[in-house]
Amino acid sequence: MPSLPDIAPLAPSDAAAAPADDILIIEDVFKSFPGVEAVRGFSARIRRQEVVVIMGPSGSGKSTLLRCLNGLEQADSGLIIVDGIPLDDNHAHRLEIRQETGMVFQSFNLFPHLTVLENINLAPMRVRHKSEQEATARSMELLGMVGIADKASSYPAHLSGGQQQRVAIARALAMSPKIMLFDEPTSALDPEMINEVLDVMKDLARAGMTMVVVTHEMGFAREVADRIILMDSGSIVETGTPDTFFTNPREERTRRFLSQIL
Amino acid sequence: MAPLAPTTVLRRFWRSPWRDIAQFVLLIVVVVWLVTLSSARLGYNWQWYRIPRYFWTVRNGRPVVGELLQGLGYTLQLSAVSLVCALTLGLVVALLRLSSSFMGRALSRVYLEITRNTPLVVQIYLAYFVLGPVLGIGRFSSAVLALTLFEGSYMSEIFRAGITSLHRGQWEAAYSLGLSTLDSYRFVILPQAVRRLLPPLTSEVVSLIKNTSLVSLVSLADLSMQARVIAADTFLTFEVWFTVALIYLLIMVPLAITARWLERRYAIAT
Repeated sequence: MPSLPDIAPLAPSDAAAAPADDILIIEDVFKSFPGVEAVRGFSARIRRQEVVVIMGPSGSGKSTLLRCLNGLEQADSGLIIVDGIPLDDNHAHRLEIRQETGMVFQSFNLFPHLTVLENINLAPMRVRHKSEQEATARSMELLGMVGIADKASSYPAHLSGGQQQRVAIARALAMSPKIMLFDEPTSALDPEMINEVLDVMKDLARAGMTMVVVTHEMGFAREVADRIILMDSGSIVETGTPDTFFTNPREERTRRFLSQIL
Repeated sequence: MAPLAPTTVLRRFWRSPWRDIAQFVLLIVVVVWLVTLSSARLGYNWQWYRIPRYFWTVRNGRPVVGELLQGLGYTLQLSAVSLVCALTLGLVVALLRLSSSFMGRALSRVYLEITRNTPLVVQIYLAYFVLGPVLGIGRFSSAVLALTLFEGSYMSEIFRAGITSLHRGQWEAAYSLGLSTLDSYRFVILPQAVRRLLPPLTSEVVSLIKNTSLVSLVSLADLSMQARVIAADTFLTFEVWFTVALIYLLIMVPLAITARWLERRYAIAT
C-alpha cells in the first residue's frame, strides 16, 4: 500500500520546496460567508494522476473548498498552488489556473443558446486560439469519448440530464486541463442516468486524469478513489484509502457518517 | 338540429374571435361619436381635403415633399441616431454599474440619479442652451445628446436587469473555462440577456421615438414642430393633430412586428 501523503499544515517555505509530483497544494485554507464559516483550515496535497474523493454531510464546506481551488470563491486566507502557479490577487494567475483546471457542476451549467458543439468549441477557440476546424475535430473526439457524438448539433435543452452532464465533462476536457474538479456531478440526475456519468468519470480516472471529486457516490469512491477525505464543519475529519476508510475508519465521526449513508 | 339555448349561443360568442371584433367595432363607434359630438359642440368645420398637400404636392409635373413628410424624415433620423447612441451608452453604463471598479459604479450611479430624476424637457433645454454652446455642437447634435442621456439611463437599467437575471452558474461555467470577463459577456452572458430584454427594450424604443416630439420645443423641425406650424397657419388643428398621431402610431407597428420576429427568431429552447 502506498504511504499516504502528509496532510499536516505546512509553512509556506516548505510548499516552495514541494516535490514536483504534487500538482495541487492546499494549505490552511479558510473561507467564510456572512454568518457561516464554510472552510476552516483545510490542507491537502494532491499528486499527479491521483483521484481524491471528498465526502461529508451537507454544509460541511466541501463544495466551497472545491470552488476555492479555481478561484470561483476567493479564500479568506491560506495558500493554493495549482501546478506551480499560486492562486493570488494576480489576475493572470487566476486566469491561467482556470485554464488548467476543468470544473463540472451539479447543475451542468451548459450555455443554453449554443449547440453542444459550440459549447465545447467556445473556450478552445477563444482562450487557446484554436481554429474552428481544429477545435471541432477535438470536440467531436471528446463527444465520441463520452458517447454522444450524435448530439453535436443539438441544443442543451433537448438533452437528458445525463447527456447534459456528459457534454459538460467534454466541455471541460476540451481545454486539456491538468486537473478536473467535480462538484456533486450526479446529485441533480435521475437515478437511471447516474451511471452513464460515473462511467465517463471512471474512464477518465483510468486514463490518468488528476481528479478532485465531491460526491456521495460510495460505489464510485470505493472503485476509483486513491484517497477519500471526510470533511465536517469545514475541516478534515479523516483521510484514508477506500479500504481503510470504509472498513476500518479511525474516527468515530467517520463511522457515524458511514452508518448514515450506507 | 335542436335550436341552441340562448345561454349556449352567448357562451360560444364569448369564446370566439367575434367577441374581440365586436369590442373593437364598438370602441370605434364610441370614439367617432365622441369626436363628432365634441366638434359639433365647438362648431368645428372639418376640412380633411386640405391635409394631403402637406404630405406632398405635384409642382411642374414633379412630386414635392410636403412639411409633414419632411418632419417625419427628421423625426426618424433623430430617432435612429439617438437610438444607436442610447443603446451604446446604456450598455456601457450597465457594465460599469456591474463592474468591480468603485469609480465605475459611482459614476454610473450619479449619472442614473441625475438623468432619471429630472424631466426630459429640462434636459433638452439644458443640452440646447447650455451644453450646445459649451461643446460647440449644433441643434441636431444637442437634441441627440439630450435624448441619448435620458434614454440611455433607462436602457442601462434594462440591460442590467437582463444581465443579473441570468443564473450565476452561467458566469461560473464561463469563468471556470478560463474565459476573460469580456469574452464571458460577449459569448455567454449578453447573447442570453439580450433575448430576455427584447420586450422591455422594444417599449423603451417606442418611448424614445415618442419623446423625440419634445425637441420641437427648441425649434427643431421634427414632425411635431411641423404640425404646430401648419396648425397655426391654417387653423386645421383637429385634422393636423389627428394625422400626426396616426403617423406616430404607424411608425410603431413595423417596430412591434420586427421585435416579435426577432424574439421568435432567436428564442432559446427551454
